[in-house]
Formats: sequence, structure tokens, C-alpha cells
Amino acid sequence: MDFHEPSHLKGIRAEAEAFAAEHVTAEMVEEELRTGDGVSRSLLRAMGAKGWVASMWPPEEGGAGLDPFETAAMLGAIRAVGGPTVGPGTTMLSANAIRALGSPALRARILPGVAAGETLICLGYTEPEGGSDVFACKTRSVRDGDEWVINGQKMFTTFAHRADYCFLLTRSDPESRGPHGLTMFLVPMGTPGIEIQAVRTMGYERTNIVFYNDVRVSDDLRVGEPEQGLHVMRAALEAEQNVAPSSRTSQLYEAAVAWARQTPDPDGATMLDDPSVRRRLARMAIDAEVADLLGYRVAFLEQLGAKPGPHAALFGPETYVRWSKEVMDMVGPAGTADWTDPDAVLGGTFEYHFRCSVASTIYGGSSEVLRSLIAEQLLGLPRSRPKS
Amino acid sequence: MNLALTEEQEFVRRTFATLFAKEADPARVRAAEPLGHDPGLWAHMIATGALGVGVPEDAGGGGGGVLELALIAEEAGRRVAPVPVAEPAAAARLLAACGATKLLSDALDGTRIVSLATRPGPVASQFLTDGGIADVVVALEGDRIVAVNRPPDVRPTSNMGGLPLARWSGAVEVEVLVDGDEARRWFSAAMDEVRILRAAALVGLAGEAIEIGAAYARQREAFGVPIGTYQAVAHPLADALVAKDGAQLLTWKACWALGEDLPGASALASMAFVFAAETAYAAAQHSLHIHGGYGFTVECDIQLYYRRAKAWVTAFADPERELDAVADRAYGQSRTHRRSAQPHAVPGTS
Repeated sequence: MDFHEPSHLKGIRAEAEAFAAEHVTAEMVEEELRTGDGVSRSLLRAMGAKGWVASMWPPEEGGAGLDPFETAAMLGAIRAVGGPTVGPGTTMLSANAIRALGSPALRARILPGVAAGETLICLGYTEPEGGSDVFACKTRSVRDGDEWVINGQKMFTTFAHRADYCFLLTRSDPESRGPHGLTMFLVPMGTPGIEIQAVRTMGYERTNIVFYNDVRVSDDLRVGEPEQGLHVMRAALEAEQNVAPSSRTSQLYEAAVAWARQTPDPDGATMLDDPSVRRRLARMAIDAEVADLLGYRVAFLEQLGAKPGPHAALFGPETYVRWSKEVMDMVGPAGTADWTDPDAVLGGTFEYHFRCSVASTIYGGSSEVLRSLIAEQLLGLPRSRPKS
Repeated sequence: MNLALTEEQEFVRRTFATLFAKEADPARVRAAEPLGHDPGLWAHMIATGALGVGVPEDAGGGGGGVLELALIAEEAGRRVAPVPVAEPAAAARLLAACGATKLLSDALDGTRIVSLATRPGPVASQFLTDGGIADVVVALEGDRIVAVNRPPDVRPTSNMGGLPLARWSGAVEVEVLVDGDEARRWFSAAMDEVRILRAAALVGLAGEAIEIGAAYARQREAFGVPIGTYQAVAHPLADALVAKDGAQLLTWKACWALGEDLPGASALASMAFVFAAETAYAAAQHSLHIHGGYGFTVECDIQLYYRRAKAWVTAFADPERELDAVADRAYGQSRTHRRSAQPHAVPGTS
């Protein structure tokens, strides 16, 4: 057993830190805080030039041939200084599905641009009445010769207004229900009939609601076979767990320790000498360590080709929410000042975490969905949701 | 980074999983209550060399590390086996470090049961975890590691955890094993090993408590469906499973850090103890709860787990206080709020 970080990570991390110092500018970070787009085209192209968008693909496909640990270290270094990585991260979910199941022509048309950092793909799964039940898809696709006509609406399509394509889940068999009769498309966002409305979130992120009115898409842009959308989505959903850098719980913990070290307490020492702060931090250290270890296990098992359960995806966000609230109590009113205020503690990081964390137990599989998966797949308990 | 056990470690795990499944079934566990010791099982443990697994080969042991002992402790915990593992195994390693060869060989061949005094304060003031059965306890007194012989007329304490607890009032016969600088350091290291091995036992206990609960939730029906269908029953079991896997990783990391002599090892040992304690209690409590009234009856195995999930923790330390040890070890001692030093909380500060 060896818990040392793999030695080869030092190189890639140093390289990513130097890259971030050069390419993640103060203006970029501020623009991201202001817009919440999750996208910087210049950063994306710079990452593409290094093969770091499709980082785990081989160099001949425009990737860098990184393993899951190296990818996590590389992305972690860019995120640590505030570089927006939602765009490439989300794009890779659908890109991996296209690579696995798309036609040769579609792969040749789309994937080089993705790897080069020229092409952004947003996700069109969730609908206003769908939520966690992604297969409650009502957006319709109807075949018309060499084209399909799409009508419907999608909710929470983050960076739709910056994307080149949407990886869109539609229902092509009107008689079908649930996971059957679905067809996936790669819809160019400039197609007539697409209307995007901004949805602002509490967590400084902008997302969108996207309307599709008689949107005509060439059959060439279908991903996978008609009515086999479930198969295609599985390929993309399996990749979603892939992104496992250090947990946000441990990033928050590091910030909390830094605050305690630098903040004077009324006795003339620092808050790190205060008994209640110490116990809180100790508890937080434990959850942060466990969240990181479960994340490392995901990367370790993936490297072996084994399937890790959703442990890290459940424990990480759950503890992130809990501790973002505890830290607020500990830091007090100064912690509620936001990033635009010059008096904000550590650039408003605790305010930012408190706002953002609460969404982390929702997207990428809500905690309830993940617990049900664990209960069914690992404990052999009966399915709690009605069969469709 | 390698989170896999070696073939030898898998062998250790399998061997003791088989032993405890056979020799520590629930009937044997009940039969050993309330004193909490099964001499037949103990003899098996001695015969397999379990206690010496962590002792260097040249001192008559198996040459393994704390991880190998943790695997044994986890399997013992899984069956709530009525034999002490953590303190005697850590005591054996401490005796080897001290060069107490006679006492060590007696401990390894079963001539005498040697355990540790892990609570703060003099031996005579403590509830000794293995006091009901031990012939000798090794303790830290000031700057000396001493071996204390069992006094006559020890009265075992009838207790909820099936532990061989007892007080040794009037214990006077003392042999000094180490006197000097190493004493505190070595004893502190032994305490860290106890933390880790107790954590490992609690991980095993949690795993089986979850399994007992899941098995019941699969077959027991209420309102026409198995109760595991209900998320209020199933979801806390899922949380418990995640926490149990996390506690196991944390315990293994502490074993590794101790073996590598890393500066964070002591903090990790304390963290593993606290997290495993909370995990085991939550798992056993929910598992008992979903049995309904049956879980409350003595016939139900889950109550054996529920009581030990708490007693195995309490016997060593209050987890809330142990958080202070985590903080001291991770950040150094507080400059404004000093506590009275506890033998098991010092001096592993970094």
C-alpha cells in the first residue's frame, strides 16, 4: 500500500502551474466571477495547444495521453488560481460519448476541434419538468428525409450562449416512455429556431434555459443509432465521474486553516489557538481527508479498469455543503463579505463557497440518486423508484 | 499511489476472516458476555501467531507492520470476536522496541496475557480495557515505561460492551522496562497503534452492521414491499457504506504513514479513530433501528454490534477530546488554552 502521490505528478503539476501563471490572468478570473460563464476561449485554446482539453486521449488524436491522476493534477492547478474549466470539463463528457459511439464522419468532423480547444459542447439533458429524472424527456425529434425536426426546451444548459454545439437528448418515438425511444444529436447552436435565455444562479454561475422551435438538424449530426440514446448517455454519464481532483471540502479546509492562522483572536494569539476553532478544524480535516481519499480511490480504480462506486460523488459534496456552513459560523460577519468588497476575507472565498456548495449535491447526480444507486448496486436493496 | 493489498496481506485477511467466522459466531460471542473473553478463541489466536504478526522476525514475530495487524483487527471487529486484539498486539510491538524479551516471548506463546494501560493517570485509577484477563499491563508512569503485574483479587467489571474491563486497585509490583527519553516517544507510538487498531476493528464492526441491516431490509416486508424499498430505510445504509469505506481508507493511510515514519502519522491515527468511531455508531444505530422492535431484543445479533460500537470507543477515549489531539498534532498546541497533558495525547505533536 502506498499513499504517496505518484511521483510523476510533480512534473505535470509544475507544468500546469507555470501554464496557469501565464494564461490565467487577473482579468480572466474577474470576468469569470462577473459573468459566471465557466468558459474562457483564450484559456481553452491554450489548453488545446498542449493537448490538455482531451488530456487523456493519445497525442495522435490531439490529446496528451495523461492518466486520471495527471489529469486531476493538471486541472487542479488551473482551478486553484481561478481558471474556468467548466467549459472543457463538460465538453469532454459528450466528446467521449461521440468518440465511443459516433459515426466515423462525425468523429472526424467534431473531435479534432474539441481536442484543439476550438469547439465547446454544452449538455442538453435536463428539462424544466425533468430534474434528476433525465429520462422524463419530452423534447421531440421527428425524422424528415435527411433531417430531423426538434421541438422542446431544456433547462440548466450551462454556457449554451458560448457553445458551438449542444449534446441534445430527444424523444424520437412518441409512444415511448422513460429510457426507451430516445435519440441523441449534436445540434449546432447557431441553427435557426434556437432561443437562449439567461438564468442567473445564487452561486455566481450563469446557466440557461434553451428553447428549440422547429430546429432542423442534419442526420449526420445524430450520435449513435436512432432510439439508442440511452446507450449514448451511459457512455457520457460514465465519464462524468472521471473528473476527480482534490475535493472541494479539502480546498475549503485549506482556506479555513489559512484564515485561522492569520486572524488575531481577542487574547492576542490567533484564531488557530481558540479551542472551538481547533475542534471545528479538526473535524473538518477528517472529512477533507476522507473526501480526498475517496476521490483518489476513483482515480486508482479507473486506472485498473475497475468501476468505482459513486462514494466520492456523494461524500465530497455532502461534506462541502456542511463545512461551507460551519465555516461561515466560525469566521463571522467578515466571512459574508463578497469578492467585490475590499474588506472581504481571503477575497470572499468563504462567501463564494457558501453560495456555490449547495448546488454540488444536485448536479452530476443528486445525493438521493447516488444513495439509491449505492443501495441497489452495492447493498442489493430493491429499487425505490417506479419502473418505467 | 497503490491502494491494493499485497497477496500476503490478502492471505492474512482471508485467514483471519475464516478463523473468526468459524470460532466467533454469535453464539460464542453471547456465551463470552459479560466478561468478553473466549479462552478457546484466544488459544487459536496465539496458535496462529496473530499477536506477533507486527513484531520483527528477530524478536520472534512475523515481521509485518501495523497494516497487517489492522487487517486482523478489522476481521475480529466484523464478528465482534470476544478476544482482545488492539492492546495486546500494540503491547507486543512495544515490548519488542523495549527489548523486554522474556515478557515478549511469554506474550507471544500465550504464557501470559500482556496488555496496555491506555487511559490517562496511574494504573490504579484506570478502568483497564483488558484488566479482567491480563496478567501484565504495560503503562507509562512519568518518563518510564513499566510493566505492572496483576494484583490478587481483581474483580472483572460487568459491562455493556462485552469487554474484559477491570480496575487494578493496589497494583504495586512494577518492573521498569524503559527509563528515559525514548519512553514517552515509544509509548506514544504504541498509543497511536491502538488508535489505528481500534479504528480498524470499528471498520469491521460497521461493515457487518451494515450487512446485517441490508440483509434484513431485503427480506422484511411492511405495507406490502420489502422495507429496503423505502429510501428512509435504504439511504442511511448507503451513507454508512460510504463512510465505512472512507474509514477503512483513512485507517490504511494511517498504517502506511506510521510505517513510513511520516510527520502526519499521529494526526492520521487520531483522525482514523474519531471517524471510525462515528461511522461504526451511525451504522449500528441505523441498522438496529430498521429492525424495529426485533432489533431491541437480545435474540437479534445487531444489538451485539450496537453496544460494542460505543463501548469499544469509550474504552479508549472520548472522540470529542480526541479532536484536540488531532488539532495539537496538525497545528501544534494552542498557545492560550493549554490542557493538562494526557498520557495518550502527548507528545506526538508536530
